[in-house]
Parts: sequence; structure tokens; C-alpha cells
Amino acid sequence: MIKKYLKNTALVFSIAAASCVVMAQEEAVTIYGVKSLSGSFASYGKYADMGSKLAVEQYGQVLGKTPSYMSIDTEGNAGKALRKVQEAINQNSAKFFNGGTLSSTSLAIGKEINKSGGVFITPAGADELTGVDCNTSTFRWSVPTYGAIRETVVPLLKEHPEKKRWYTITPQYVFGEALLSNAKAVFDELGIEHVGNSYHSLQEQEFSGYVTNAMAAKPDVLLLLNFGSQSSNALRQAINFGLKNQMTILVTWSSGLEQFQELGADITENVYFGAQYWHTVDTPLNNKLVKEVKDTYGITPNYPLAADYISTKLLLDAIVEAGTTTPSDVIKVLEGKSYEGPTGTEIVRAADHQVLKNYYLLKGKSPSEMKNADDFAEIVSYGKSFPDESSLECKGM
Amino acid sequence: MNLYLFQVVNGIGLGMIYFLISVGLSIIFGLLNFVNFAHGAFYLLGAYLSYTAVSITGNYWLALIIAPLCIAFFAWVCERTLIKRVYHLPHMYQILVTLGVALIIQELCISIWGPIGKSISPPDSLKGVIAIGEFYYPQYRLFVIAFAAVVALLVWYLLDKTKFGALVRAGSEDAETVSLLGTHTHRLFSITFALGVGLAGLAGVLAAPIKGIHPFVGPEVLGIAFVVVVIGGMGSFTGALVGGLLVGIVQSVMSTLWPQGASLMIYAAMALVILVRPYGLFGRA
Repeated sequence: MIKKYLKNTALVFSIAAASCVVMAQEEAVTIYGVKSLSGSFASYGKYADMGSKLAVEQYGQVLGKTPSYMSIDTEGNAGKALRKVQEAINQNSAKFFNGGTLSSTSLAIGKEINKSGGVFITPAGADELTGVDCNTSTFRWSVPTYGAIRETVVPLLKEHPEKKRWYTITPQYVFGEALLSNAKAVFDELGIEHVGNSYHSLQEQEFSGYVTNAMAAKPDVLLLLNFGSQSSNALRQAINFGLKNQMTILVTWSSGLEQFQELGADITENVYFGAQYWHTVDTPLNNKLVKEVKDTYGITPNYPLAADYISTKLLLDAIVEAGTTTPSDVIKVLEGKSYEGPTGTEIVRAADHQVLKNYYLLKGKSPSEMKNADDFAEIVSYGKSFPDESSLECKGM
Repeated sequence: MNLYLFQVVNGIGLGMIYFLISVGLSIIFGLLNFVNFAHGAFYLLGAYLSYTAVSITGNYWLALIIAPLCIAFFAWVCERTLIKRVYHLPHMYQILVTLGVALIIQELCISIWGPIGKSISPPDSLKGVIAIGEFYYPQYRLFVIAFAAVVALLVWYLLDKTKFGALVRAGSEDAETVSLLGTHTHRLFSITFALGVGLAGLAGVLAAPIKGIHPFVGPEVLGIAFVVVVIGGMGSFTGALVGGLLVGIVQSVMSTLWPQGASLMIYAAMALVILVRPYGLFGRA
């Protein structure tokens, strides 16, 4: 009896000791935030950085140690981002990355991180990230162009079934082409007449010529398929030319609150916007996030802040759940993981590492309808639209 | 109205904005032989100052007067303290110094106004559109065309028909002789620099309701200004006007003919002009 007791006690102690050794061997987790903190996209990177920092600071202990956060400034340049990420991997043995908002940056560093066997979660727009260029290390939080088009065009047409003539303005690069081809598919499906399209270059900031083309085509809806300052300028100039009184305008891929703040309610009033995130979404995590961001930074969270907050938190959650900082184990936990995100219950699809989450259709409020300085829009509809697993282009898992 | 004809009208409007953006650069280069890479940054500062002026007073017209004057004064201070020290140095040093000034202004704007862009509404009296056939054209853009035309006339008169203009032109040819004749050439150059930069600030104020205000717009503006100045001829006032109109019309018409190449065609036009007339349409060897 005593012999058995001693044997069991020894077994328990050896398991506990072994666990302690393993825990002691796990180094403190460092999350590397790849953000455009300077250069043309600094406005975006600044908020993304705030989101990641907040997630790390409020997380508490990870595997018994306090996690840390380190920013990598991409300077809005994929080449520089790649070099700095390589440095972090080679010199600091960096494993866990998030950010890389620009598609070109995310695609480049995603491949590099995959080569080194790390983990990378990004909110970037390029469908290739979870499509033809998918890889084991890369996960994407934002809804792809397929969902962005479906969750904006379909509900808008439901609200205005009489609006059957649509005109598009599209940036001529991979992202714009993806939005346009998805839009054309939906047009065919719903019997919408595509009355014309104006392509523009990636550098374009003067849209009066394209707006004139749209005016000449006399559409019911002007669909803007560009992003960031290009969509802001295109919208501003369309409204200058009085298009808001002649047709409905939809900006299918807005950058959220930041874009509303830039344009002001005079411009955004009655314009429809697609959005990955909106601060008034009533979910437990979002309510908590809004409060914490207000308490910490004194602002309302916008899309880059929320996207990089949840990406960082998801990464830390997965490390804790895996009980190790070994990237392959963390990746296994992430694949298929269901969690409460800012848009509600979000699921990481194992087949392509795409997070399945809601996309929102917003409608700009008039200045008199706004209840506070950030109450720019009402949520018209929301939902999840993703390509079937059978039709995925991702074959790299 | 035919779509292409309307695009020409729109191109004229666009061209007048480009003229305003580039005329200051042309004056400073032509008369002072000074390459000002901070031109876009001064445009940016003008736009931001107008935003602040409109936010405080709610009056765009006041901003249109105050902001360019503030920019001109700021430029005068810059010239007296920094720029005048590099007039006699090769262009490379001038580019280095003005690039530094541009970066300081850009970062200053981000610190003061934040990284998110800003918008200004056109004044209420110019908010609508006017119908031209089956098309609509913003009243504010029409105002900008008219205003830019008046500015062009005033600048031409100042530089070509007044004693000040004659002295500046003479000073740019032979500063030492003009100085020996009793003219304070340094002061003359300071005023010319302030005038050129003030025009950039004015362009910033006028373009803000059309293009919005973004802290990184400076290099884009500088690029357009250089294209206009190269096409028109370095230092030529007429060249800036014709170059601006040409760029505006090419860009607007190409938006219909070959939309994805509209921006590219501006640079193609510049390359063509350089091939045919290396000193620009109105430039001197």
C-alpha cells in the first residue's frame, strides 16, 4: 500500500516537474506588428498599431510570462517591409506577426514568414492571401472581395429593386479586378444591367473625368470599387458634380469610421458604404473594445484599430490554447477555431485560413441625425458570404 | 453636349487648377534659378491653414485671403533664414534643403492636424451645379476657373508691366549690376520667393474643396507642377498657363478615350514635348 502510494506520488511529482521545465523553457511571447507607421499609409498604420498594442497590454500573462509587442514600420513599402521582417526573423527569432495592411506587403511577408515557419494574421484585402497564394502560416481576418460585393450589392438592390442600371469605377490592379469580376457575377445573377466601367490607375487622384463618364451613362447606381484616398476623392468629386442627386452611390470597400471622419457628414449623407467593422455593432467583445479604446485612447475604434486588435488577441489566445510557442502547434489551434470577435462569432476556416465574419452595409446619416461626433452611419444590413470550400483556389495547405 | 466636348470643358477647369499649382514653381525657378522641392508642401500647408480658418470662422472667403498671406509670410521667413544661403550653391544642394523643408512641413501637419485627411465644403453660394446640355458642372469649379484667370492676369501684369517685375527680371539676369544700380536685390528675391510660394498656398486653398486635404498630397502636387513646368518651359509664365491647360485637357479627355492610361498620358505628353522642344513649349535655352 505504502509502496503504491509512494509510486503514485513520485509519478505526480515527476509530471509536475516536467511541466514546470517545459513552461520554463517557453520564452516570453513577442508579437511583431507589421504596420505602415510612416509614408502614405501612416494614417492607417497608426491606428492598427494602437489596436495591437492594446491587445498585448491588456492580455495579462501568456504561458506564465508577460507578452511584449514590437512594431515594424513598413513605410508603406512592401520591399522595406520584407527586409525588416527578414531581420526580425534572423536576428530576434521572431515567430508571431500581424498587420501588413497593404496587400502587396502582406503577400510578400506572408511568404517569408511561411518560409521561416512562423504565424501571420493580416487584415489585408488581396484575395490571393487565402486564394492562389495561400500558405500554412498566413491567416486573414478581413472578408474577401466576394463577400464584400455580395453583402453590399444584394441588400442595396433589395432596398431599391427599381435600380437596375449600375456603373462602376475600378482601380486597374488585382484588388480592383477581383471586386469587378465579383460585381459582374452578381449583376448577371440579379439581372442588373452593367452600363459601363471606368478603369483608373493605382496613382490616380483626379476623378472628374471618370465621374463625367458615369454621368453620361445615366446609371441608377454608381458603384465605387476603389479604396482609401482614391475612393474618398472619387466620392468627393462625384458629389461635387451633383451625382448624389442623380443616382445612388455605393462605396463597396470603405475604410470605415476613418473615411467618414475624413469626408464629413455633408458628403457621406445618404451614400452607402461597405465596411468590415463598425463601432456600433452590438456584440459583447465589440462593446468591451469600444469602452477600452475610449478609456485608453479617448477615441472610438475604427477598422484598422479593431482589425489589428482582434488579430493580435486571436494570436495570443491560440498560443495560450496550444500551451506552447511552437508555431505549428499554434497553427493547428487556429485552424477551425471559433471565437467571439468584434463582429460576433467568428470562425477560422481550416481549408484556406480565412476568418468567416460579418460584412456590413452602412448608410450615411445627415448631420442632424447624428447623435454624437462619430455617429456617421446606420447599419442597413450585415451577413456572411464566402465562396464554398469546393470552389476555393487555395491548394497550399 | 457631346461627352468629349464636356471633357474638354472639364479639362480646362482642371488645367486652371494645375496652372495655379505650378505657376509659383515656375516663377521661382525662372526668376531666381532656384529649384523648390518644398512647393508641394507649401500647397499642403495652405490647404491645412484654410481648413483651420474655415473651422474657426466658418467663412471660406476669409480663409481664401488669410491662408495664402500666412504661407507667403512663412515663405519669406524661410527665405530670409535658410533659402537665401543656398541660392549660390548648385541645384543639388537646393533640392536637399527644400526636400528637408518639405518633410518638416509634412510631419508638422501630421502632428498638428493628425494623419486622417480633412475636407472643406465649398462656400454655400457655390455648392450647386449648373446644367451644360445633359451634363452638370460644379459651380465651385467654374469659380476656380474664373479666379485662376484673374490671378493669371494679375501675376502677368505684376511681372511684365510694373517696375517691380522689371527689376525682378533684370535681377534674375544679372543680380550684381542691378544691385550696383541701387536696388536691394536680396529683398527683391525674398518677395519673389514669397510670391511664388504664396501662389502654391492659394492653390492649396482653392483645391481643398475639390480634392480634400491629406498629409501626403505634397509629392503628388509637386509631380504635377513639374510636369506642367517642363511642358510649358522652366520659368515661363505663359508656359505654366498653356502647360496646365494641356495637362488638364489631356487627362480629362483620356479619362473617356483610355481611362486606365489617363495619368500615364500626362507623362507621355511631357516626354513628347521634351523630345520635340527640350526647353519646353515656351522655355528658353
